[in-house]
Amino acid sequence: MTELSSNAMTASSVSREQRNASRDHRGSWIPTPGMIATRIMELRRRRGLMAALIAVNIGIPTIFLAIRLIAHVVAPKSYGPAGGYDIFTNLVAGVMYVFGFIVAATLGCTAGSVDLSEGMFRHLVITGRSRVALYFARIPAGLAIIVPMVAVGFTIVCAVCVFAAPAKLSYQGVTVPSGLSATGFQSWAVHHPKEAVCGLPYRSRNGIPCFMDQKGKVVVPPGSSGFKHVSPATLKADAIKVAKQNYTAYTHIFLYPSNLLMVKAGLWIELEAIIGFIVGLGLASLIGQRTVSVVLMIVLEIVLTPIFSRAPIQHLINFQRGLVGLATAHLEPGGLPMAFGGGGGPGGGVSIVPETTTVAVCVIVAWLVGWTALGAWRMATRDT
Amino acid sequence: MNVAMLDHTPSSNTPDFQWAVETHGLTKRFGDNVAVNDVELLVPRGCAFGYLGPNGAGKTSLIRVLLGLTHADAGTMSLLGYSVPHHRDLALARVGAIVDEPRFHGHLTGRQNLQILAAARESAARGRIEASLERVGLAHRADDRVSKYSMGMRQRLGVAACLLGDPQLLILDEPMNGLDPAGMHEMRDMILSLVAEGRTVMLSSHLLDEVERTCDAVAIVDKGKIIRQGPIAELLTGATMEVQVECSSPEEARTILLSTTFGAQVETDASGLTIHLAPGTGRDAIAEINRLLVQSGLDVYRLQEMQVSLESWFLDVTSRLGESA
Repeated sequence: MTELSSNAMTASSVSREQRNASRDHRGSWIPTPGMIATRIMELRRRRGLMAALIAVNIGIPTIFLAIRLIAHVVAPKSYGPAGGYDIFTNLVAGVMYVFGFIVAATLGCTAGSVDLSEGMFRHLVITGRSRVALYFARIPAGLAIIVPMVAVGFTIVCAVCVFAAPAKLSYQGVTVPSGLSATGFQSWAVHHPKEAVCGLPYRSRNGIPCFMDQKGKVVVPPGSSGFKHVSPATLKADAIKVAKQNYTAYTHIFLYPSNLLMVKAGLWIELEAIIGFIVGLGLASLIGQRTVSVVLMIVLEIVLTPIFSRAPIQHLINFQRGLVGLATAHLEPGGLPMAFGGGGGPGGGVSIVPETTTVAVCVIVAWLVGWTALGAWRMATRDT
Repeated sequence: MNVAMLDHTPSSNTPDFQWAVETHGLTKRFGDNVAVNDVELLVPRGCAFGYLGPNGAGKTSLIRVLLGLTHADAGTMSLLGYSVPHHRDLALARVGAIVDEPRFHGHLTGRQNLQILAAARESAARGRIEASLERVGLAHRADDRVSKYSMGMRQRLGVAACLLGDPQLLILDEPMNGLDPAGMHEMRDMILSLVAEGRTVMLSSHLLDEVERTCDAVAIVDKGKIIRQGPIAELLTGATMEVQVECSSPEEARTILLSTTFGAQVETDASGLTIHLAPGTGRDAIAEINRLLVQSGLDVYRLQEMQVSLESWFLDVTSRLGESA
């Protein structure tokens, strides 16, 4: 048998191989830039998946805002401005937060399972590259796709909400300048007492029965004495009262979001997307199956998290605290509507399930590290 | 050649230059089923080595264990002299393999799939993509999606993937599966050319004829255990010799031959006699048979030694094992 032996390999070639192999760090857990770049290519070439991600992350808010823009241009008196504070907060906390998580999770589940299901995992393992490095290459690759995608969608929302915010209030025929402080708003009411009393949505209990017509004129119902028996001082006092009652709504509806709120909200939905991707990646690697993983992630986000965020349950309080959705909601910037029991209100930090910010951060870190470790472990030990 | 005859002590740390694949007592179980049963395998470098066995004999399981796709329950192994799994990265750096049916990302082109695999190898692998595609004859379809590839094209892409690492050892699991006769011919030529370059090709197959045409040495595996291994010529030397005879009276010839000390098994049929001589019988026996028949007054029209094929030898070995069991 020995006569068949090759002499092709010499001691020097072996040592050269050893040097080469140690130079490309094949056994290292750290993926190479080339591995990450090709993983990005592999994911980006999935046209169906990419179309779905773009449609949900960018398409839905863009179409919603585009319809509002068109409607406002066509019928400005019937349809309010496309942008503004309320639109921004509702889109961010209501749509981008939830859908961002789901699409990021879908991408993570895909990245975590397709090598197995499509038979490429064997080819990759046979290269001798560390299985953990193969797993870790997927994290920056997936994030390089989902983070910019969420950022683009969010930027569109911000741009429309800022630039299409109303320059002046025009609500039920009342025209009010935008950007007034509380004092400025009251001052405007003092100078336009009839418009304030009859036109603004929230009225004093002692208000006079009146309204504004489409042309911006004050209309008093027939049979009513109107303003005849109201002194100017009383009318001004009523106007100030109405202005105070309406100021919060005025700031929410007719102003655009502050830069700080936009930055915080942007980071917050990016965090949610990152969590969705990494947990989805780990879960899919653990299970080895995409569909089941995606379903479980959706159940977590739109079933379990809302159920457990409605009220604190005494015996399950720590379980509730351990849910990543509640922990993320706890970090929701103040000024956004409450999402899953957290955030909300101008001051923020409100949470139905009581927990400190430190605990919320620890829960999020634990989910990220835990699922990454589980996914990497399964990848390293899986028989293929 | 029996493994027990080999006086070779494997080293766990220093590369051994003689054997491309070396296993000792390798065992892999799936529940109660022992897929790889105490395998002692020695694949010499620079040859085409066939790993033969019927379906379900444990061929793919052994390959999966060797490549680290699944763990071994017992035993030691080395690839290109590197102990596996301890030096798995060093060993697999110069190994290319196809396990089962080669599958790739269907939504990517052949070239893009190779780019993914090259990125997991050393930096020089990227520069070998074009040459690999050229070599397997896929350069003109390299930018087509793999989902549009035929089975044969995927097999060739699998070989191209193997070549990215400039491998010293190629392990091909059933490489002829799904190939048409022309494709099989091309694959055979490719394997032979790889061997001619000094590479070692270990291929598992149940197609005995293809293995006989392609390989220099074989190991026969059955129920997870290697029952014979060595160079094909050497193994066939130990096979029974078959001689066909056409003569005037086959029945009389049979009686004559059974009364001799050849220890032959004789079968008669319409065309004459088929004589199975014991392993190790020299060619002189053929002349002696002729002499006996002529001296007995029979007319001999044809006397032909039949070339023993690997297939007949394989069936002979396995049937003997079955009888002894």
